[in-house]
Amino acid sequence: MSNKDTYNMFEMDGQGDKKKKKVKKTEKLEGMKKEMDIDDHEIPMEELEMRYTTSITKGLTTTFARQVLERDGPNELKPPKGTPEYVKFARQLAGGLQCLMWVAACICLIAFGIELARGNLTSFDNLYLAITLITVVVVTGCFGYYQEFKSTNIIASFKNLVPQQALVIRDGQKNQINAYELVVGDLVEIKGGDRVPADIRIITASGCKVDNSSLTGESEPQTRSPECTHENPLETRNIAFFSTTCLEGVATGVIISTGDRTIIGRIASLASGVGNEKTPIAIEIEHFVDIIAGLAIFFGFTFFVVAMFIGYAFLEAMIFFMAIVVAYVPEGLLATVTVCLSLTAKRLARKNCVVKNLEAVETLGSTSVICSDKTGTLTQNRMTVAHLWFDNHIHAADTTEDQSGQSFDQSSETWRSLARIASLCNRATFRPDQEGVPIPKRLVVGDASETALLKFTELTVGNITDYRNRFKKGVEVPFNSTNKFQLSIHELEDPLDLRYLLVMKGAPERILERCSTILIKGQELPMDEQWKEYFQTAYMDLGGLGERVLGFCHLYLNEKEFPRGFKFDCDDMNFPTSELCFAGLISMIDPPRATVPDAVMKCRTAGIRVVMVTGDHPITARAIAANVGIISEGSETVEDIAERKRIPVEQVNKRDARACVISGGQLKDMSSEDLDDALRNHPEMVFARTSPQQKLIIVESCQRLGSIVAVTGDGVNDSPALKKADIGVAMGIAGSDAAKNAADMILLDDNFASIVTGVEQGRLIFDNLKKSIAYTLTKNIPELTPYLIYITCSVPLPLGCITILFIELATDIYPSVSLAYEKAESDIMHLKPRNPRRDRLVNEALAVYSYFQIGAIQSFAGFTDYFTAMAQEGWFPLLCIGLRSQWEDVHLQDMQDSYGQEWTFAQRLYQQYTCYTVFFVSIEICQISDVLIRKTRRLSLFQQGVFRNRVLISAIVFQLCLGNLLCYCPGMPNIFNFMPIRVQWWFVPVPYGILIFVYDEIRKLGVRRHPGSWWDKELYY
Amino acid sequence: MAALKEKRTCGQRCEDFGHFVWNSENGTLMGRTPEKWVYISLYYVAFYVVMTSLFSLAIWTLMYTLDPYAPDYQDRLKSPGVMVWPDSYVDEKIEITYNVSDKSSWMKKATILHNFLKPYNDTKQQECNYHNCTKGKYFIQNDFHAPGHTKWACPFTQSMLGPCSGLDDPTFGYNCSMPCLIIKMNRIIGFLPTNHTESPPYVNCTTLDGHDNVAKIEYFPEKGVMDLSYFPYYGRLAHPTYVNPLVAVRLSLVGEKKAKIQCRVVADKITYEHFHLPYEGKVTFTLTQLK
Repeated sequence: MSNKDTYNMFEMDGQGDKKKKKVKKTEKLEGMKKEMDIDDHEIPMEELEMRYTTSITKGLTTTFARQVLERDGPNELKPPKGTPEYVKFARQLAGGLQCLMWVAACICLIAFGIELARGNLTSFDNLYLAITLITVVVVTGCFGYYQEFKSTNIIASFKNLVPQQALVIRDGQKNQINAYELVVGDLVEIKGGDRVPADIRIITASGCKVDNSSLTGESEPQTRSPECTHENPLETRNIAFFSTTCLEGVATGVIISTGDRTIIGRIASLASGVGNEKTPIAIEIEHFVDIIAGLAIFFGFTFFVVAMFIGYAFLEAMIFFMAIVVAYVPEGLLATVTVCLSLTAKRLARKNCVVKNLEAVETLGSTSVICSDKTGTLTQNRMTVAHLWFDNHIHAADTTEDQSGQSFDQSSETWRSLARIASLCNRATFRPDQEGVPIPKRLVVGDASETALLKFTELTVGNITDYRNRFKKGVEVPFNSTNKFQLSIHELEDPLDLRYLLVMKGAPERILERCSTILIKGQELPMDEQWKEYFQTAYMDLGGLGERVLGFCHLYLNEKEFPRGFKFDCDDMNFPTSELCFAGLISMIDPPRATVPDAVMKCRTAGIRVVMVTGDHPITARAIAANVGIISEGSETVEDIAERKRIPVEQVNKRDARACVISGGQLKDMSSEDLDDALRNHPEMVFARTSPQQKLIIVESCQRLGSIVAVTGDGVNDSPALKKADIGVAMGIAGSDAAKNAADMILLDDNFASIVTGVEQGRLIFDNLKKSIAYTLTKNIPELTPYLIYITCSVPLPLGCITILFIELATDIYPSVSLAYEKAESDIMHLKPRNPRRDRLVNEALAVYSYFQIGAIQSFAGFTDYFTAMAQEGWFPLLCIGLRSQWEDVHLQDMQDSYGQEWTFAQRLYQQYTCYTVFFVSIEICQISDVLIRKTRRLSLFQQGVFRNRVLISAIVFQLCLGNLLCYCPGMPNIFNFMPIRVQWWFVPVPYGILIFVYDEIRKLGVRRHPGSWWDKELYY
Repeated sequence: MAALKEKRTCGQRCEDFGHFVWNSENGTLMGRTPEKWVYISLYYVAFYVVMTSLFSLAIWTLMYTLDPYAPDYQDRLKSPGVMVWPDSYVDEKIEITYNVSDKSSWMKKATILHNFLKPYNDTKQQECNYHNCTKGKYFIQNDFHAPGHTKWACPFTQSMLGPCSGLDDPTFGYNCSMPCLIIKMNRIIGFLPTNHTESPPYVNCTTLDGHDNVAKIEYFPEKGVMDLSYFPYYGRLAHPTYVNPLVAVRLSLVGEKKAKIQCRVVADKITYEHFHLPYEGKVTFTLTQLK
């Protein structure tokens, strides 16, 4: 092909550098590029017949068709290679935290192996720990898998399972067959209401229009006719595409490609070729795991050296090292994160946002750019009357879906005439049996503009079927492309008035030509130059809004010339078609959904940029963008400035223009740097006439600029971009299967405003996860220090492994999850999106503050309680130090305490369990204080409200109850090493709890009072 | 975002880390300028000084409230433990095995017992515990009459063990088939083994396995009694010279000369059936004589 690149839809601009890296992917795309070079629409009919061995009258022979079917396979889209279930499950087991826990479990097993090899049969702690770690990973994996399985099911239920039928001509016979049996070369017939069964070269057509919105994003129906009008297969009129809908008319055509080789099929496979991006939260968790692992190894190594220095054997020191590393693993965190995320997913599902991947719930919160498709996402994807011009005034009609908007003044006489013309000069009718359905949702037979007018008049005038019956129709001339008008002649409603009424509608300029008068406030005034100028202004205004404008006029026929029973002949036109009376203009548009402008506004206040990326025409795109607020009032494009200042476009400083509209054609000529520049310089961007590949490029460009990109869309043409985006949001009702497959989130009610909810919930969960993690991490230190002191000071072990597991996995899970219910501290929807490089989930300040300050206080609390319990039972603190070897001697049955009493080993062991329990209780008490301080990061607890989070309060009660149960339930000492401790030991750590609370309040006060100060920088997390 | 996702090579990571360690542009060392490091270190020093002093204060208060003579609680010491000497373990079980024909084998057992009985040396006891105790009655002392503000402790001498004292037979019977074992009950402050003053606690040994191999069990002092005057114990500070009363058991081994024996201190308040406290109130061991 000589002019290959001019109509190449899969243009690969800005991919130059990537090509080298991803040779394989590029090859695939290059291959796709070549395949796109089809010329089936350009070659003459005879050549086409030759190419596919078919006949444009008789179609294929049945036998040949069968052969081709065998060769090419059925005509259906191969479902995207679904991930096998076991891979999905395995993925649940392979996240960042999961890997950390696997490694820890392995270390435990190794340590256990070493212990075993040394003949130490008493300590099964390491084995238990390994088993627990593995269990936690598997159980949370199952939980996460179940969650995703559920949402996948919701999505799957939307799939249309009805097999499609097609009318095919084979051996000269018309047959109704299943669409998947069609092959290349088949001659098929389509009519209004059918889905196009494959890519078809049109041979004959009459009034055939197709809806290409899911493919190209154009809301307006596209005419299909046999002549080749464009060299680009997407632009030419003589190809109808697979899965688009034929709205009206009939056509026959030859199938030129089937199944995955169709345009739709290729876009769908393009989407599956795009790699899935890691979610921001997954990146954050990996970063967090890095921190944990780094600290664990640092600590482990330090104490390994210390242990060697003290004089432990190498192997023993090695076991200490492993134990410390493992102790650093926050066992409960995985469960906490999973539960918090699924809570949010549930909350979102209640608001009709279904999330396919749990981690994606947070992504909207970090989103800084939303690339939104127009048709069907921002707009309703149905033509609706938007404006009327009569009495020299533009009236706005109610375009909301539920008719909740403002209506216009309907008292004028002119309006009544205009409404009458609009009602009568209209061939569209409602399908029967739809009385219960709200008017805007009713199904209509007729083209888009007539449908819009029908619904509009039904809403404003009343029952149109009745109305039309009252004005009996005499004759009708349908619209055709030469006349560019449609007229009909009716009897009048009043039986005494014997005049006929001629009503006409059509292209405004054509209608104006035929008018000699104009109706103003019910008066017929002569159409002079001034009225014509007013008309022109109004027509331009409405056209500038991207609306499709129709003109309306009428004429009362003289009853003498045209008495009742006059034979009107629509071929001869034996009636006047000029010197008519102009009534007004009605303009239509695919209006934005009612909730969109508000949602866009909210996104803006939340610092999120909304970029429109559509396949529709620039004027329409811009008009809708202005309408919904993507281009704000007063924003100008470079062209606007040029026009205002009357200077050439080149002289305009690009930075002055806030808004920018770029069409696919321009985009093709831009390098990736140009595109980046444009995105940087113009805050308000609209991309029009973009191909699916270009949508992908735009998303990539945004990502290159460091943004986290959300893409919303419904059509097949959006699916590659949906996949590429950090989060793809598809429409549940209007969305195509391809879009839903590629998306991470689905809006079941197609309500764009749900995205705002998603952003809010995402930001909230990010904040709350931070709090949960801070809470969970804190207790790592009081769990670790006993072991460190045990190694270095040789005291009897203050806290056992099983007890730690109980803290991690039983008592503290609920409180840490309850932080997910915490309300936002400030108006999160007025903040900018977080900077993924700077605002990390777990930052240094959080880790350091939790570990070395709050964690340290908790450790002191634990040791105070430990020494108290030991001393009051007879073991003074100074005696405890260095006591370990004797204390743990199984053969020593008469060991003397500080008072000279003699203890058997078993008695000492129970004393050790008592210590575990008091340490446990200390951590619990401090953690209650900890969960209270974690409610806020900046505000005082009293500003946030102590009791506002009921779940948290119940979590504290639960924690205490469980703690008591563990302590005082009979049998616990020998099963889980909990002893019934004396009540007063519960109160030893209380002062430390109060200290934690007061200290954190002081910290928050400093942070609030001195923002940006040293204190703020070091202590705000 | 893209930059964050890029897979970095090891070299780049190292470079990044190097940059983190010393960033010459901002003059930061590990993310902070030296000045900032000084501040943060001072802050932490102050924080830990305060915390440590609070902790020390807490421990000091704790020590201040403690009674030097008796512990506040004896939750784990409801009943005393009992142990047997010679105490030779195999894993976690006591197995006393000796060979009559191998002198070093039985000498080892005898040495253990000699060492164990050193504090009970008659002369030593007479030196430090010279108070005349009334036998058959708890020796309850509310005051500190003994020298050095202490309480009197009753003497228990080696010779009270009779044939098992090691004085007459330094082999403790290990060179023939009549080995001596010494049973000791742990001391607990304020513990009174019985409610009634009339019947003192006594040691009772039973054969659990190998009944036929044990011909006779003899107790020293007579009936294996621990005299009530040794109770109660008043603690290290009040009772610095206190010694536990002992009971020696002499067994006559016959036949296979192998038996599993349980020795129990019988008294009202001494429990012995706790599954998880194997040495409470009783001691179980295997006695084997080779050849």
